[in-house]
Parts: sequence; structure tokens; C-alpha cells
Amino acid sequence: MGIHDALFVMQDAETKTLWNHITGEAVYGPLVGRNIGPLSNLLHMSVKQALATDSAMRVAISEQVYFAGGRRFGTASRAARVGGGGSGEGRRLGPSPDNPNAAMTDRFAATLGTEDTRRPRMEIGLGVWTGTTARYYPIDRIRARGEAFIDRIDGKTMLVYVEAVSNTPAALFVSARSAAREGSAVRLDDGSKVESGVLTDRTGRRRPVERPQQMFTRWYGFSLTFPGCQVYGDDR
Amino acid sequence: MAAALAAAAAGAQGQNRPSTPVDLPNGPAKAGFDIARFSNAGNGWFETFYVTQTRPLRDALRAGTVADDTRLLVTETAGGRLALLTEQMAFHHLAQGSAGGTDWLVSF
Repeated sequence: MGIHDALFVMQDAETKTLWNHITGEAVYGPLVGRNIGPLSNLLHMSVKQALATDSAMRVAISEQVYFAGGRRFGTASRAARVGGGGSGEGRRLGPSPDNPNAAMTDRFAATLGTEDTRRPRMEIGLGVWTGTTARYYPIDRIRARGEAFIDRIDGKTMLVYVEAVSNTPAALFVSARSAAREGSAVRLDDGSKVESGVLTDRTGRRRPVERPQQMFTRWYGFSLTFPGCQVYGDDR
Repeated sequence: MAAALAAAAAGAQGQNRPSTPVDLPNGPAKAGFDIARFSNAGNGWFETFYVTQTRPLRDALRAGTVADDTRLLVTETAGGRLALLTEQMAFHHLAQGSAGGTDWLVSF
């Protein structure tokens, strides 16, 4: 593991190839030209939301210490948290997208390429990409649209919203023309509803959810991974 | 192999821990990847979570091992949806395993 563009880079033990952990592409070494995919989304959810999404979902829990329901679990503890999340003080104060005031140390900044200055380096938002389009949604612009709105990408209609439970931005494909927050749910003008990541139609019947590739990210990470990406709200 | 990858921001806060050297091959580099800007920062700090066991999330909730509001990272594997604890993944950053006959990898 190492750093490039202030983002983690993975290395496989077998060939020593370095891999971009967002796109899955080999970036340095004998496997350049290969991709580790297919990729699936890594979605932020609470347990309650996850079970509403899929009651058969399974969980993997390591020996690393964690806290749940006010209790401490796990036996192994090392304070090596960098990036990512957690649910305690480290998450609030660390570089996780949950911390809007995070700064970048010189050591990591030294690995940055030429930055895209259209947005602030550490701004948070939702990055969405397809085979042909990469678009960044600044969190402030999502909130300014009432935390739920319809956009189009590659000819498909997409709901962009903030998940009420996890307070993270997300996107999924829908067939509606407008959307509005209604408590913890998002109500669509075709009568369908999104709540806890579950899409139901006007009769309340559950519908399959299709999501574009997406990530909750900082501007620098998305723009350096997808140079020249679109920015929602800017002219395009 | 299926992979679920998320944007792991590398370091905002100061980390003064020593990093172990990275054994690099002699290229080639993909266009846009500048090996001169590669840093070994963070190498050796984390332990990949090698997943050998999973359990129904519902059972974990019933047992009190997780709570309704415990934060998860959810991915799709060939064996169905799988949840990892966000707090633990902030330490591991990488998790890997096999499900439904297909290897999977999660990066956070």
C-alpha cells in the first residue's frame, strides 16, 4: 500500500503491481492494462437501513475493536486509522468525508498531481461515473436542491439525494421527473418512494434498485481520478 | 474477482508512524501515473481483513453485536450482499474473501 494523488494505492503481493483503488485499474507494474473489476458500489448504510434493503444480508466482523449500542467489542486494537470512517471521534475529526474541516498534511500533498481548482480541494460530494461520463455533485449543491432532485446521465434518469439515516449522498436510477424530501423518505412524482435505500412503486410494491457507480468523496480525489469531470451546477 | 472500491482519502491528520518500504517493480506505468509522486506512506500500518466467516446481519443485531445505528459498508458479492463495519474498515482499509465461488475485494 502507498499513496499517489493523496489517495491510497493498493499493491498485490503476487506481482507487486500497483492498483487504483477507485477504478480498479492497474497503474504501475506488469499488470498495467488490466482491471481488477467488475466493480460494485460500496454503500454507506446503518444496520436498520441495510436490513430494510435486504433482510438476508450477511455481515463480516473482524477482531478489531469497535463500539455498538454503547458496548465495546473486539479484542485487537491499533490506532492506525487514516482516511475512511469509523463512527467515533476519529470519524468526526479525521479525513473522512464526514469531516468538512479536514486538512491535508504536506506528506500527502506532495503526492498530488496538477489539481483541478474549480472546487476546493477538500470539499465533499458525490462522485458518479459511467463508462463515458464522470460527474461530481458538491454536497452544498445537493442540499441547496432540497437534498433530493432528478438529474440525467448518459440518457438515464437519476435521483440524487441525501440518505436521511446515514446522512450520505447517493444516487439511483428512477423513472420520475421530480423528487422531494418527505421526512426521511424521498417522494417521486410518479408515486414511487425511496426510503432507507428501498424503492417502492405507487402501490407500495418493492422495486429493484439500480445504481450508477458512485462514491462519497472529496473533490481532489474524484477530480484527479477523473480529470476534466463534469461538476453539477456548472455549465456543461 | 469482484471489487467494491470507495474513495479512501489518504491522510488529513498527521501520521508520524514509520512506513515500511514498498517493493516496486520496474514499471510500466499507466498514462497519468507518475511513480515519482508515489509515497510509501501508510505501508504496513494496516492489516487486511481476510474474511473467512460471515453471519446473517439480522442474527448479529438480535445478539446485540451490532445496533440499529451501527454504520456499515455494504457491497455485492457473488454470494449476495455483504456488510462490513465502517469503524473496523477505517482500520483495515482492505477486506477480501470469497463468496459464491468468486473472490471479492473491498477497499475503503
